[in-house]
Amino acid sequence: MCTPPFISNIKSQQTKAYSSSLSKYSDSRISMAIHKSLFASLLICLLFQISHGATKERLFSDLEKGALEVTAKPSREGVLDAGIDKLSITWKLSSTATKEAEFTTIKVKLCYAPVSQVDRPWRKTENELFKDKSCPHKIITRAYDKSPQSFEYTLERDIPTGTYFVRAYAVDAKDHEVAFGQSTNEAKSTNLFSVQAISGRHKSLDIASICFSVFSVLALLVFFVNEKRKAKIEQSK
Amino acid sequence: MASNEEGSIGTSMHGVTAREQVYSFSVDASSQTLQSDDPTAKFGLPVDSEHRAKVFKPLSFAKPHMRAFHLGWISFFTCFISTFAAAPLVPIIRDNLDLTKTDVGNAGVASVSGAIFSRLAMGAVCDLLGARYGTAFSLMLTAPTVFSMSFVTGPVGYLAVRFMIGFCLATFVSCQYWTSVMFNGKIIGLVNGCAGGWGDMGGGVTQLLMPMVFQVIRLAGATPFMAWRIAFFIPGFLQVVVGVLVLTLGQDLPDGNLSTLQKSGQVSKDKFSKVFWFAVKNYRTWILFVLYGFSMGIELTINNVISGYFFDRFNLKLQTAGIVAASFGMANFFARPFGGYASDLAARLFGMRGRLWILWIFQTVGALFCIWLGRASSLPIAILAMMLFSVGTQAACGALFGVAPFVSRRSLGLISGLTGAGGNFGSGLTQLLFFSTSKFSTADGLSLMGAMAALCTVPVAFIHFPQWGSMFLRPSSDGERSKEEYYYSSEWTEEEKRQGLHEGSIKFAENSRSERSRKVALADFPTPETGTPTHV
Repeated sequence: MCTPPFISNIKSQQTKAYSSSLSKYSDSRISMAIHKSLFASLLICLLFQISHGATKERLFSDLEKGALEVTAKPSREGVLDAGIDKLSITWKLSSTATKEAEFTTIKVKLCYAPVSQVDRPWRKTENELFKDKSCPHKIITRAYDKSPQSFEYTLERDIPTGTYFVRAYAVDAKDHEVAFGQSTNEAKSTNLFSVQAISGRHKSLDIASICFSVFSVLALLVFFVNEKRKAKIEQSK
Repeated sequence: MASNEEGSIGTSMHGVTAREQVYSFSVDASSQTLQSDDPTAKFGLPVDSEHRAKVFKPLSFAKPHMRAFHLGWISFFTCFISTFAAAPLVPIIRDNLDLTKTDVGNAGVASVSGAIFSRLAMGAVCDLLGARYGTAFSLMLTAPTVFSMSFVTGPVGYLAVRFMIGFCLATFVSCQYWTSVMFNGKIIGLVNGCAGGWGDMGGGVTQLLMPMVFQVIRLAGATPFMAWRIAFFIPGFLQVVVGVLVLTLGQDLPDGNLSTLQKSGQVSKDKFSKVFWFAVKNYRTWILFVLYGFSMGIELTINNVISGYFFDRFNLKLQTAGIVAASFGMANFFARPFGGYASDLAARLFGMRGRLWILWIFQTVGALFCIWLGRASSLPIAILAMMLFSVGTQAACGALFGVAPFVSRRSLGLISGLTGAGGNFGSGLTQLLFFSTSKFSTADGLSLMGAMAALCTVPVAFIHFPQWGSMFLRPSSDGERSKEEYYYSSEWTEEEKRQGLHEGSIKFAENSRSERSRKVALADFPTPETGTPTHV
């Protein structure tokens, strides 16, 4: 963080200004200096972040559709439990693929179905690839192989509750996506599966929570009653 | 007769008219030993006639004034951490609890709404039980709600818990009340500004602290969905610790604790209904309510939405968005004290009128930069706009609490409470109108909020004190109404004045003469005439 040295500088400046009761001109000069140094430090911090921003505009619509045939078979019927149930994922080159020469790596990801994106703008599908947030969960990354591949994926414990499908991106040597395939149709309505997240709760947490709460209330009551008693004793003296 | 005590704590006029109330401490053996030497010598800092400190030494922990200051702002800081602890963790929480944008928005509204009621109640609690218990109640009774985040499983539970945690923002009122009784009116703007600003910083610190704590817990092996629940134990634990410190190290008033002073008769107990009536009857209270709603109110709203705004609109990483969001809150460290200091400085030169102008200028400038923030489409411009907006708005908060202590002496606590509640009300309202629906984007919401804030700052022109004037009007030229004593003693009925219950207000009125502009103060008539209570 770039701001702490400036804050202590500002604090000492402020104390000096107060105790010597300067005229309003030096007050405004000091505040201007504060604003300038704050702005400068922020700009410096941000220059690093901006360069990471990656404002390339590669679009999803430019990718070759259906270049890979992907299937994702849940280990059992019904709603799957995160952390426990598995997905059997397979992918192979489709007969319609044209850009096969560029494939170096295959990135398989877990993606949200439209029903899980409603009223949740942080999961929105965007055409610009760097902005697209619909496939945040990585399953596996493997070097491209001509033969059919498969992977047994255990649903991670940080997968949220929702409806999903699987998509595999074919990536070239420059780490740019060139093609993809997914386990559902283009409208994302078939072959979807549902996942139920872990609750995140635990008995030990519940107990600790209750203990601390009781302590807090009791401590307050004890102090209160004690002081009332002492005040009464003072008065009766 | 009551005139037996020499050099007793109080005015030298005590006992002259024989109509003053005879206090029971005249019989109390222990208090007489206290009065044998100069009562002001026992204080670490120079004090005025009400034993309020006349200087502010932020690095000191002297009993009771500076200690009260530090305990006050730390309590408030801790509560801000708890209330906004969820905001930087929302990306994890929304996945764990399967929340929608509406759920997140509603929880944000709930997190600031609870305090509307608790801040009102806190004003009364401070007037009746003292600032120490007000603070301790707030901290230690809401700590269980912070711990109860470990039980939450869905949007309803999440909203309920954030609503209950929000109650602890009432510490703002107890903190400001505490500093107002401990520090003299000439420096109250700076002191309240520092206490409020350093407390508000908690809203910025939490944006850095919670993700950091979350990371550490994850590194220790917990899953994300459990780690965020464990992370909430930190603010809860802090609350309990600070609550105990307040009870053991703090003191309600310069002369002692409220219950002890009340029982010994040095401070008379007031009736809640009277305190409430005089607060509500004063139209200035309601103008401050609206004003604070659009300075602190929009600050609270920004604490809830800004991290998500930078994350979504500019595609920053979570940690980066957190740093930007933290900068907004951290600016409070100097911006709010600066506002308070500017208010005090303006008062030295122009009296109360200067304070009102400073308040209007800062708040309007802040609102204009908020409009700019919504319009900015490039990251550096947005950050610049946000920083200028933060300084303007936070300085306005500081300047407002340079004015509030002078609105009433009798109902000081309740007015602090009502003003504070106004802040939360403004936040709930702006979040509901602009950030809970898909009608406008967050960027448009920000600009609209800024426009509404600029409009709602105009009422400051209507605050008029007969003894000091207003933004556009001079003080009253009427001989009686232009005296501070008239304004402050008008809060007491004739019956109460005859009983001498208004003596505290008279003392305060004398000390508040500093709010006259320099020109008028120089032409002031000699003290003995103005020191005479009006009922003689």
